[in-house]
Formats: sequence, C-alpha cells, structure tokens
Amino acid sequence: MATTSINMASAKFSMLGWIGGKRELKKKRVISISAQQQAEVEESQSQQVKENENQAQVKQQQTPLRPVEPQTNVRSKNMSREYGGQWLSCATRHVRIYAAYIDPETWEFDQTQMDKLTLILDPTKEFVWTDESCNKVFAYFQELVDHYEGALLTEYTLRLIGSDLEHYIRKLLYDGEIKYNMDARVLNFSMGKPRIMFNNNELPTQDVAQ
Amino acid sequence: MQGRLSAWLVKHGLVHRSLGFDYQGIETLQIKPEDWHSVAVILYIYGYNYLRSQCAYDVAPGGLLASVYHLTRIEYGVDQPEEVCIKVFAPRSNPKIPSVFWVWKSANFQERESYDMLGILYDNHPRLKRILMPESWIGWPLRKDYIAPNFYEIQDAY
Repeated sequence: MATTSINMASAKFSMLGWIGGKRELKKKRVISISAQQQAEVEESQSQQVKENENQAQVKQQQTPLRPVEPQTNVRSKNMSREYGGQWLSCATRHVRIYAAYIDPETWEFDQTQMDKLTLILDPTKEFVWTDESCNKVFAYFQELVDHYEGALLTEYTLRLIGSDLEHYIRKLLYDGEIKYNMDARVLNFSMGKPRIMFNNNELPTQDVAQ
Repeated sequence: MQGRLSAWLVKHGLVHRSLGFDYQGIETLQIKPEDWHSVAVILYIYGYNYLRSQCAYDVAPGGLLASVYHLTRIEYGVDQPEEVCIKVFAPRSNPKIPSVFWVWKSANFQERESYDMLGILYDNHPRLKRILMPESWIGWPLRKDYIAPNFYEIQDAY
C-alpha cells in the first residue's frame, strides 16, 4: 500500500500541517493546504507559480501534500458583519472545507488567508481513522484542489471538491479501509449499512483479496 | 378559431399568433419577444391589470424556452373575469425576453425564478439574480439538457 510519499524538495513544508500529537487529544483531523500550486506561503508577496514539470516528475501514486505550516498567534479576522458575516465553506457530514486558515488548537478562523483551504475531516467521528487513511483523503484533497486550480473560488467549486471527497470516503469505506466508529454519538450508518464478513480482520488476507 | 382578444389585437395591428384555447377555454396567444414589452403595455391599458402567474418551461431539448403569463382583468361586479394566457418563446442560444416588471410589479420574483431555473434573461428587470439556487450555482436546473452535478448531499442527505 503506497503511503504518502512526500518529496521534501518540491514541497518545502513539513508534515506538521496536520497536527501530530494534539490530534489524539482533540480527536479532530484538520489540514490546511495552500491552494496555489507550490505557492510559497511564507513569501506570499513573491508568489510565483513555478512550472509544473517539477512536480510531475516527483508525482507518484498520490499527490504530495503541501500542508501549510502551523502558524502562531492566529486571530479570527474578517468575521464581523462589515465583511459580510459569512465565509466560504462546504459543509457536509464528513467533510468541512473552509477557505480560510483555521488554527487547529484554538479554532481561530483567519479569513484573510483565503489562499488556503482547510479541511476538517469527519468532525462527528463517524469513522475510525488511521494516519494512513487520513493521509489518503488529504492527498486526494490536494489532488482535487490542484485539479480545480483556476476555477472560481465559490461555494459551488468547494461543493464539487467536498462531494468528490465524500465519494472518496465512501469508496474507502466500501474497500474496507475505514470502518464505522461504533462509539459514535450518532450511529445511523450514513454511508450504508455495514456488511458482515466483509474484509473482516479475522479472515486471512488471501480470502479478502480473492 | 380566433378569440376575442386576438381579434382586438388584429384590429389594432399587433403581431401575434393564436395558439388556440386551453382546457378551460382561455385564449392562448404567442407574442414575439421583441414585441412583448409594447404588447404588455397595451394589454395593461386594455384592462388586464392582474398578472395571475408567470412561469417558464423548456419546450424541447435543444429547442425554445417559453415564458408564460396568465393575465386577468379584475373589475368590480364581474363573475367571470376575462383571462388570457400569453406565451413568449425565446431561442436557447440568446434567451432574452423583456421584463414586464414595470407593467405588473408582481412579476419581480416570478421572473427571477424563471431566470434561476431556466436562464431566461429578462431585460430591464431591476434585480435579476438567482432566487432559489445558491448564487454561485452553475447551470440552469430546469433545462432539459441540464446535467445535475454529483453532489453528495443531494443523494445521501442524512
């Protein structure tokens, strides 16, 4: 199974964008990625879009993540009424996408940074996530964001991305890579009833493959 | 088979085409889009002071778009008010129809809905924007060639 392969030369940011240790405490899976192709977030004044050949060479099975570095002293900005009192988002049950930087610990919502998209994955904890399955969704999210590069930053585009992510999560569920969390607060099996004896851990792997 | 209003319009030299009568016997006329504004004003002066309903539909895949107006003449002491149904057809490539908002104010939201669902552009409408769908929506949902996007929450709304 291909794990996330990050080429540190192309993506200059570490994988700290989604939180390592704190995630277990908060039980939230958050990632903020930059929407631009290889945008340099630190030097945002000189954001030049580099050629894509560099990335195409290093592109392997999964799109390398370009997570945003964790920021400090994030404050909620542009949330008041004079800015419209609203935000760009796509909120379905398992996928919340916001066009802003959201601090993963304090949940401060910085809407001045609309070049970043933040994905909150499954906030109602309906599924059991591992790092690997999380990374798959994040990589698919990055791939979708790259795919929709150049489209208008509207709710419609975010809905397209979020719906594709939901379909992808359903595919992961049907492939048996994630499971329903039986301790979830709401247990209504929103992606279909669980199937018995399908990819069960007691079964040997050969039987599952066949 | 010519109705009363059709005869009146012919007498005043107004271009139209009679589409017969509907199941209630209400006269149905077709007006060209370029004539529609002046004919609407004339119909208002004639006495049709009430726009009972405005709707729109897609005639055929790849065909015309239609905007339908049901007009009524409201007067005191009348049991059976005069009614007429006007259909204005516009080509799909450039669906422009003059707005009747400035004649019958109640056309405001109705025409916005027709614009939202079928993409008919009503000229001189004061605020022609989407009313039911989100403003960033792409496409006209009630056209026959519309393909619904594969949105997650539309099919699996829990």
